[in-house]
Amino acid sequence: MKLTRRVLAPAAVAAATAGYASMNHRKPPPAEMEGGAKSTVAILKASSYSVDLVRPILDGIRACGLDVRGKRVLLKPNLVEFDHATAINTDARVVAAALEAFSTAGAASVTIGEGPGHRRDTFDLAREAEYLQFVPRFDALFTDLNRDDVSSVPQFADDGEFFFPNTALRADLMVSMPKMKTHHWAGVTLSMKNLFGLVPGAMYGWPKNRLHIIGITRSILELNRVFRNTFALVDGIVGMEGNGPIQGTPKQAGVLVMGRDVRAVDATCCRIMGVDPLQVEYLRLAAPLGRIEEKWIEQRGEKTAAVATEFALIAQFSGLRGRVS
Amino acid sequence: MANLAQRLALLRSWRNPDGGWGYFPGKQSWLEPTVWAGLALADDRAAAGRTWELVRAWRNPDGGWRPMAAPCDSTWGTALALTLASVLGRDGPEVENGVRWLIETRGAESTLLNRILRAMGSSAVEREVKYAGWPWRRRTSAWLEPTVHALVALKKVGQRRPDALLAARIDAGERMLLSLRCQDGGWNYGSPRALGHDLPSYAETTGLALVGLQDRAPADAVEYARRIPEAQASPLARAWLRLATGGGEVQQDFGSDVLLTALASVDPGVLRS
Repeated sequence: MKLTRRVLAPAAVAAATAGYASMNHRKPPPAEMEGGAKSTVAILKASSYSVDLVRPILDGIRACGLDVRGKRVLLKPNLVEFDHATAINTDARVVAAALEAFSTAGAASVTIGEGPGHRRDTFDLAREAEYLQFVPRFDALFTDLNRDDVSSVPQFADDGEFFFPNTALRADLMVSMPKMKTHHWAGVTLSMKNLFGLVPGAMYGWPKNRLHIIGITRSILELNRVFRNTFALVDGIVGMEGNGPIQGTPKQAGVLVMGRDVRAVDATCCRIMGVDPLQVEYLRLAAPLGRIEEKWIEQRGEKTAAVATEFALIAQFSGLRGRVS
Repeated sequence: MANLAQRLALLRSWRNPDGGWGYFPGKQSWLEPTVWAGLALADDRAAAGRTWELVRAWRNPDGGWRPMAAPCDSTWGTALALTLASVLGRDGPEVENGVRWLIETRGAESTLLNRILRAMGSSAVEREVKYAGWPWRRRTSAWLEPTVHALVALKKVGQRRPDALLAARIDAGERMLLSLRCQDGGWNYGSPRALGHDLPSYAETTGLALVGLQDRAPADAVEYARRIPEAQASPLARAWLRLATGGGEVQQDFGSDVLLTALASVDPGVLRS
């Protein structure tokens, strides 16, 4: 509930940040996040979903120096809800192209997994969103993460243990594939927030209300602490502005944004959307561990300014405009 | 196309060695598909006995049920376990403790503190919070689906053993469901409004709400559910609408989805009190 989050937010965020910085992580962070190197973020233009999307994704993988050879790759799109009138989900054609691109790049396996927040019939949602139409062998490749086998991970926020789908825990590399959207609680929802879909409904319900009680910001930070080996591939070809993540309106941005540092990718997406990333609470708190500021981001492909297009924000988030450098 | 006998045969073949069912064949057993498969096969006394023995083993010391074998907190599945116990005619301290756990569990939004804050205008919750529904897990908010399962379970218990406390929780749960009805006549997962906008209903949650309300369902809501075009309803929605409206035989197979196969095979009368 909003009220609960507000009441608990300061203490919870402080605890999350401390834990985030000090805890032993399950997997090593990307090498470029160690030391003083900049984080590489690739912005690739794609005017529509009808153009060749495999090539720009492959270009992005290479530009970011990502080696997927021999790895079990899990694509984690954002499947939330379907409405013909707007653009809620990661487009199926981007998922299909990623499937081909990561296979071409040498992955040992590429599968797809998602656990929608409130729709229980995940396969029907995927059918509505045209995943069965555009993604070859979707039935065989897809795991409903809400109903997967699970294993526990020690310490998640204040919970002594937390359960996650085995499909996600056992992947060598997760590809977080969000839609570029505004979000009526978090401000924006991008590759870091997209990990909410890893929380199994069979354990935590539909929606995953436990995350809201922990606090959205803290949950985002904790999820990204647990799942550190994540590559971001943001579907910004047509995003969503206004009252996202479900009831907003489509917004053409014409880009795919990719990178190994999810914080740097989300910060770059914010700049494209006309949002100051340091005004987004979860990004500001993640800043010490990622490259949020532009001076720490090595931009490949298009320049941010060349593709920036202001996303409309609901009134309560007008302050996110801040200083978009 | 699969008829009832074929679906029941599938369910038997998908049973795990531990006696339970996973959400998909060969996957770990979970309480939810195990209960629904157990209800679908309730007429098979030997199968039912084995199902109950497994479910019984997943009780927690607090009286509730965990959602699977591994140690973890009690959840909404407690209601499912109690419904199975009622249908199979099982009783005893474990059932009593489960009923107590369910009666003591309520959505965090309906606590006294939250109701006071809402009355003071300090809460952004856009739904009625004075009626206590049920959450997926304790210390979280009430939602439609866990409330429905709790109502089904408690009504069955109340049928056997009338109790004022039980009746009060059932009444509050039903009022909560009625207060959540969307403008379009059906129900969605929780609040009918968000950020000042009416939210649309869903076929599956409309079916679920009617399963929970039973005789208290408004006639126009039942009519609304009957008019939902089949093409607009997911397989899960069709399963719940059938259970809600007492619909007939399903001639459909659901691939390897154990939950859908089981839901489509349960006699709607089993859930009514």
